Amino acid sequence: MSFALPARQVTFGRPSAYQQQQQHGLGGNPYQPQNGLALPGPHPHPPPAAPNAVAGPSTPPAAAAVPSTPVPLTLEQQHITAVEGIVPTLQNIVATVNLDCRLDLKTIALHARNAEYNPKRFAAVIMRIRDPKTTALIFASGKMVVTGAKSEDDSRLASRKYARIVQKLGFDAKFSEFKIQNIVGSCDVKFPIRLEGLAYSHGQFSSYEPELFPGLIYRMIKPKVVLLIFVSGKIVLTGAKVREEIYTAFNTIYTVLCEFRKP
Amino acid sequence: MASAYYEFYRGSSIGMALTDSLDELITSGAITPQLAMKVLQQFDKSLADTMVKQVKAKTTLKGHLKTYRLCDDVWTFIVQQASFKMEQNEVILTPRIKIIACKNGDAIEAGKK
Repeated sequence: MSFALPARQVTFGRPSAYQQQQQHGLGGNPYQPQNGLALPGPHPHPPPAAPNAVAGPSTPPAAAAVPSTPVPLTLEQQHITAVEGIVPTLQNIVATVNLDCRLDLKTIALHARNAEYNPKRFAAVIMRIRDPKTTALIFASGKMVVTGAKSEDDSRLASRKYARIVQKLGFDAKFSEFKIQNIVGSCDVKFPIRLEGLAYSHGQFSSYEPELFPGLIYRMIKPKVVLLIFVSGKIVLTGAKVREEIYTAFNTIYTVLCEFRKP
Repeated sequence: MASAYYEFYRGSSIGMALTDSLDELITSGAITPQLAMKVLQQFDKSLADTMVKQVKAKTTLKGHLKTYRLCDDVWTFIVQQASFKMEQNEVILTPRIKIIACKNGDAIEAGKK
């Protein structure tokens, strides 16, 4: 099952080989329980048409640890994803799945563990699992939102686990239309930033209202990512559909931020 | 009206005692079963109200929440390695406890099973 680990995950934006090794070690375990996930839906490999598969086909992890993997990434791209050794960390991934089956939420809430259902407040069952640590919103229409995962693979694995739980409760749940809707990353450039200057010269993209919110909101057009930039040099990037957009957006903003470094 | 109250206090020792007494009175023909039902309903109501208004005892609970559930306004918690700290600094340890918490009118009221 660990073969489902896309090459991108282990080669993109991981500066040291040591970390890559670690990724394998960690990445191997969450896949173990997946053997029990005998879903009739698509195989856990990222579908070729999925937007997050742009980095190329899956490669066995053993081979992926070697930098010379057949990933269609230019040297420049690989380089700029680690400007000054800073790589944005993914903090949250939101994905949607269609279980393609009407659900009786009360049955789910009564029989599943770690479920909350209070139809007076919210028309979905809120369910959590510990590994990968995520939360799912399960709606009666059979649509599901899975949040909290830290990687694409975790998001997919968690979604399959939720689908399996629903299936085990006796529903004819499928695993279809899995799509990552949002990726949030963050990092620290480790120098203070003159937000006023940045807001002034990039007025077209920036919104800086310190009385409303202490960060500068930077709406990048290409890639379409929103960045929250703080005086401290901490950056939050959101709105991406694939992790490469986070990296590209960070590289783009990094050069700009250097210009507005506080003396 | 009476159905607005949970019946779980009937399982407590005081509730059992009341049920036994009522059974005896019914068998001896002193009261009708209808009256006994009314008494029990009043018992549900009185105990629920008393728990809210008069019981001031408190305890703190620590432990690992294994599972939880919220359905029909009833919370269920399974806590492992729980420790209850009572008011006189008395500590009670238990490897596993199930807590069922129900709403009671406008107040929230916890019942244990």
